[in-house]
Amino acid sequence: MKITINVNGKQQRFDVEPNTLLLNLIRDEMSLTGTKYGCGIGECGACTVLLDGDAVLACMMLAVDADGHRVDTVEGLSDGNKLHPIQQAYLDEGAVQCGFCTPGFIMSTKALLDKNPNPNEAEIREYLNGNICRCTGYVNIVKAVQCAAVKMKE
Amino acid sequence: MTRKSDYVTVGKDTQRKDGVAKVTGSEKFASDLSLPGMLHMRLLKSSFPHAKVLKVHTREAEKLGAYTLTPEEVPDIKYCPRLVSTPEATYKDWRILAKKPLYVGEPIAAVAADTEEEAQLAVEALKVDYEQLPAYFDAEESRKPGATQLHDAIELKGTIINPERNIACTLDLQEGDTDAAWKECDEVVERTYRTNRRYHLQLETKSVLVKPEIDGGISVWSTTQSIHNTRLLLHEIFGLPMGKIRVYKTPLGSSFGSSIQVNTIVPIAVAMALKTRKPVKLTMTREEDIRDHVSYNMIFKVKLGAKKDGTLVVGHLDAVLDLGSHQIQAYALLGCMAGWWVSLYRLKAKSYKSVAVYTNKTPSCAFRGYGNPQVSWMVETIMDELAEKIGIDPLDFRLKNYIGEGEIFWGQGPTVKSVIRSSGVEEILKRGAKIVDWYNRPRAGNQTGRYRKGLGMGRGFHTSSAGAPVPGTVVDFSGAIIKLNEDGTVDYITALMDHGGGTLEAHAKIIAEELCLPLDNVNVISADTSTTVYDVCTHASRGIYSGGGAALKVAKQVKEKLRTFAARMLDAEASALSFRVDNDRKQGVIYAEGIKGREVTFKEIAYNARHKNWGTIAAVDSYRQPACPPHFTGYFIEVTVDTWTGKVKLDSVVAGADIGTVINPKLAAGQVHGGLAQGWSMAVMEDMSYDAKTGDLINNGNLTDYKIPYPRDMPDLEDFEVFFVETVEPTGPFGAKGIGEGALNPVAGTVANAIQNALDIRFYELPLSKERILRAIMEKEGQ
Repeated sequence: MKITINVNGKQQRFDVEPNTLLLNLIRDEMSLTGTKYGCGIGECGACTVLLDGDAVLACMMLAVDADGHRVDTVEGLSDGNKLHPIQQAYLDEGAVQCGFCTPGFIMSTKALLDKNPNPNEAEIREYLNGNICRCTGYVNIVKAVQCAAVKMKE
Repeated sequence: MTRKSDYVTVGKDTQRKDGVAKVTGSEKFASDLSLPGMLHMRLLKSSFPHAKVLKVHTREAEKLGAYTLTPEEVPDIKYCPRLVSTPEATYKDWRILAKKPLYVGEPIAAVAADTEEEAQLAVEALKVDYEQLPAYFDAEESRKPGATQLHDAIELKGTIINPERNIACTLDLQEGDTDAAWKECDEVVERTYRTNRRYHLQLETKSVLVKPEIDGGISVWSTTQSIHNTRLLLHEIFGLPMGKIRVYKTPLGSSFGSSIQVNTIVPIAVAMALKTRKPVKLTMTREEDIRDHVSYNMIFKVKLGAKKDGTLVVGHLDAVLDLGSHQIQAYALLGCMAGWWVSLYRLKAKSYKSVAVYTNKTPSCAFRGYGNPQVSWMVETIMDELAEKIGIDPLDFRLKNYIGEGEIFWGQGPTVKSVIRSSGVEEILKRGAKIVDWYNRPRAGNQTGRYRKGLGMGRGFHTSSAGAPVPGTVVDFSGAIIKLNEDGTVDYITALMDHGGGTLEAHAKIIAEELCLPLDNVNVISADTSTTVYDVCTHASRGIYSGGGAALKVAKQVKEKLRTFAARMLDAEASALSFRVDNDRKQGVIYAEGIKGREVTFKEIAYNARHKNWGTIAAVDSYRQPACPPHFTGYFIEVTVDTWTGKVKLDSVVAGADIGTVINPKLAAGQVHGGLAQGWSMAVMEDMSYDAKTGDLINNGNLTDYKIPYPRDMPDLEDFEVFFVETVEPTGPFGAKGIGEGALNPVAGTVANAIQNALDIRFYELPLSKERILRAIMEKEGQ
């Protein structure tokens, strides 16, 4: 099946099977391996990408359902050599340890802050509650989201 | 020694060098790698917990165009996947593909095809004839007389051993006159404790990519905590010359001990690559990974005695270890458990009996703390109970009996001991107690009503490395290469893996501090087994202490060479020269103090050395730490128990840690945050239960049915305080010790003590699940 997806701002055409997962299309065909496989059943959030600005789980979605839509992955976030304020905030706050969950968290953070530029702590935790991190206990991740909210207003 | 405040780089928060790759998605974990012409592999795994494989039918799979690999096609040798211990402590009972699988999920055969989908169809086309055999899911059942023996023969240093009654190994120890000591006790507490089995749930499932090389060798990228041990094992199994096996450092999507051993899939993938002569990749699904590794299950029968005045006297521990179906490091763990048991508190006499038993479950391996979280849970809760019995405050009881500076520290058991040279125990306890107003906490049993609050405390520690004054049965040394580049920067090349805690960032800071270089001038180079010297493994909280120790040793050698070259250039006395960082010029500078113009940058030295043919300034060496200093932790945790549902809420946490000099402040605090989350999860959430009929996991391998904390389950930022006390470890690089495991070890005990404070009920089995708590409340208080 022929589909067209705007990937990180660029229109791209793909020929996919009806059962191809968006996650596999992103990782195997687009070679954008920042989007991770963690569980395959929508529990861990490591595969979070944005679909027209909304956070979605790429392991729970068929590639054909992204036809005609825009998909943003972590690779599209930085502007050339300059990190996006969310990416910078994750580094500044020590929110990155092994880094495997980080792309998913960053994309969830982007979706949150685009909708709610001033989230309180409870709102941050609520929004990120679909993402698992086994390293950080979420402390520095929550701080990073707060820090990113400030940076994005600058 | 230089005061901490004088350090230029050590102790400062900096942006981690691998950070940009990690936040932009460009970091390549093993599962992200691919090669042209690569085949995808899938595994056929045992459907039964104990069976004999009579035949694997491959014809249908081959008709689909897939390659197959059966038990007959792999080297018929027994191996142990973990190479941290010496041969006399390494029990070999694994086979690359099992002829007699011992757990549901044990690999029996493999296929490889052009796509993952084709490989999956091919693996589904394989058929196996099995003969089912009796299986055991409980260590007590498994070691009963008359039980079917799971392993016929295992190997220990070339000798065949027959593990009768499914006893894998044993270790007994005794120190002091215990008979006399028990008579001195006024109060004795005797209890039996049972731990849960926890899955690491590292976010990246295990993965491997193998490329057969034209010279007959192989290149390997795999999820591992030790590239050199991976190479050693592949050499041992396949007999390839070591120069033809290159194992590349590949970032870890966390591990927590689950890749200390060479992963089960690695030799299988190598065998397939050697057969097909094509690159092959094998990434476990989550459902496979969850059946691949788990923490050890333990039963403790423990007895602890003290005098009326609160002096601990004597203890006995009888430990049963359910290791699952294969040994990874059970024998070493029996020794460590003895160490964990006697290292927190002074016992003038102690006895220890331990046994590790085979069952038909997933093979157990180290999980952050290597048994210490389990043992410390028992120690810290029985300490509370004994304090209560004596009538002394549990915190005062600990202050009276803790093992501190100048005392012998058992560390990792009988062969890894050293004298404690730095201890912040008292400060952790006193400062924490003040913050939480410890002495005014609720009295156990005083509360009624639906919601009840409890405050508990617990201590913990872990060895920083497995170093010791004498060799013992554990290998622990590191190596480093440092060379000066022509622009005045240095390349640092190490085999040591960073789990993500910032270990290599700390090494870079140690090197920068020693050489007086801007941190940006230390390049951390990713390398492989052929271009690094040996490092045993990143485990045992040894990354900064041992690996950083090696980096410091080699930096000092480079520094002396720099000094010699500078002296020639400056026409100065080498020993009189000083070093400083010049941040404006972004260079390290060597100068003769007080004499104008007599200075030279590292760049100038390297430039000059090249043009005058003096050569490259470089050094390579290994380093063995002479000690295994404990890093100490203490937690104070407040919970609310809902007596209607049994649910426990984590209200607030105060955590103190003595890790010597803090090298990466934010990342070190991050270790404590993560330790708390894992410990909380261990205390109240996690367990891997088996279906006694099928031998499979009750959660069926689904993460949906294996819960760990999400962001909402953790306390608010203002309710989680972490502090570090000021100590300096004389044997550590710039005074540093480890933190990774001590951050987790006390948590479950602290949570149990907090719940006891809320409910006046003690629990002896983990996890403290809603069901277990509710049942206990109903038993105590009625409906």
